[in-house]
Amino acid sequence: MQNILRKRGLLKVEGQKSFLDPRTKLLLIFIEAVIVLATAGGERLVVFKAIFTVLPFLLLVTIRKYKTCLIAGGILLTVMCLEYFVFQNVKGMAEAMLVIVITIVTRFLPAYVTGVFVIQTTKVSEFKAAMEKMHIPDEITIPMCVMFRFFPTVKEENESIRAAMKMRGIGFGGKKASKVVEYRLVPMIACSAKIGEELSAAALTRGLGKSRKRTNICKIGFGICDYLIFVLAAITMIYWILGVIMR
Amino acid sequence: MEKKERNERLNGRDLINIGVYSAIYFVIVMALAMTGLIPILLILLSSTIAILGGIPFMLFLTKVKKPGMIFIMSTIMGILMFVTGMTWMPIPFAMLTGVLAEITYKAGDYKSLKAAVMTCAVFPLWAIGNYLPLFLQREQYFADRTSYGQDYTDAVMRFTPNWMFIVLVVMTFVCGIIGGMIGKKLLAKHFKKAGIA
Repeated sequence: MQNILRKRGLLKVEGQKSFLDPRTKLLLIFIEAVIVLATAGGERLVVFKAIFTVLPFLLLVTIRKYKTCLIAGGILLTVMCLEYFVFQNVKGMAEAMLVIVITIVTRFLPAYVTGVFVIQTTKVSEFKAAMEKMHIPDEITIPMCVMFRFFPTVKEENESIRAAMKMRGIGFGGKKASKVVEYRLVPMIACSAKIGEELSAAALTRGLGKSRKRTNICKIGFGICDYLIFVLAAITMIYWILGVIMR
Repeated sequence: MEKKERNERLNGRDLINIGVYSAIYFVIVMALAMTGLIPILLILLSSTIAILGGIPFMLFLTKVKKPGMIFIMSTIMGILMFVTGMTWMPIPFAMLTGVLAEITYKAGDYKSLKAAVMTCAVFPLWAIGNYLPLFLQREQYFADRTSYGQDYTDAVMRFTPNWMFIVLVVMTFVCGIIGGMIGKKLLAKHFKKAGIA
């Protein structure tokens, strides 16, 4: 059983460090947000933007998420082809639609893939340990931990409620579209709040309510891959700053 | 109750509550943000967030009994906006509006419903932080977004002269009151019955 789980990447070998430090992953998210998502630096950073667009896909390969990697990569490639070959030739409505698709995919997909990688590979305790090492106060880290633990739950609840309401003909396409807010949002919030209460009871039994400093069994530290990413990030930043100064 | 000294420090349960409601709130924000690619809706984004976000936020306020919780939630929203590519400006701005919302709810001693509705109006102002680069670094903002196409840029330009900032604040505030009212109604209609308010 354990072997099967381990093969599917669902169970990590006890004591094994994941191949990037959580702090490096945070840096990666930061860089993706600045360089790819917010497209900072414009034309000058285009090479680095390409590097950071490809990097998340390579990371997915390292955790053997081939399917996600192929699907996301395929979408990205298709859209890039559209951008270079079709975009110049269309006008009007089609252009506007294409712009929307292209911006969503080329900017959001790499960041999304990074997010998938980070969430798949980081345990909450590891995240907490990293934040503690960076001396971020508990008041920020605990809510953040809970949030990341909670997004999948909200999504799941939302799916079930949508299915249930679809049967009753309440949906954006159906006749009772105006009731969507009350009949979808309210149960979603109610379910999530209930689960949240249970979650907090569970966490309190594990000593979260105590004001004493908590211990953490996760060992985190930097390896060679971490330093490689640091160097890459540093080069990007220096090149960017140089560009700003020279101008 | 009088004898028991009120513990002002946030404990684990409070922090978890912040996390849970931030998650619900942020899911709604993200769903709405997807509509922001249509220029007119981009401008209305902070208002739509104020209306729909008012529902979970009202419920969150029933859990808030100590200072600091609203501020933390606001700060987290700012950080998440940074992570989703809105530059660093939302973070300090969200902290500022967080303090304002905190003061508003504190004025009602953390239980008045009227103050809660007002807090619902002040809190969504954090979303305006997303527009700050649009006003403060106008040229760079559009230089970075040439890929959106000239039509998109023109449309956004037309809707955002500088005085628009004030209009946005007022609009968000008003929509926040509406959202708070809806939240209050739903609170009485659904959540109290379900025993979670």
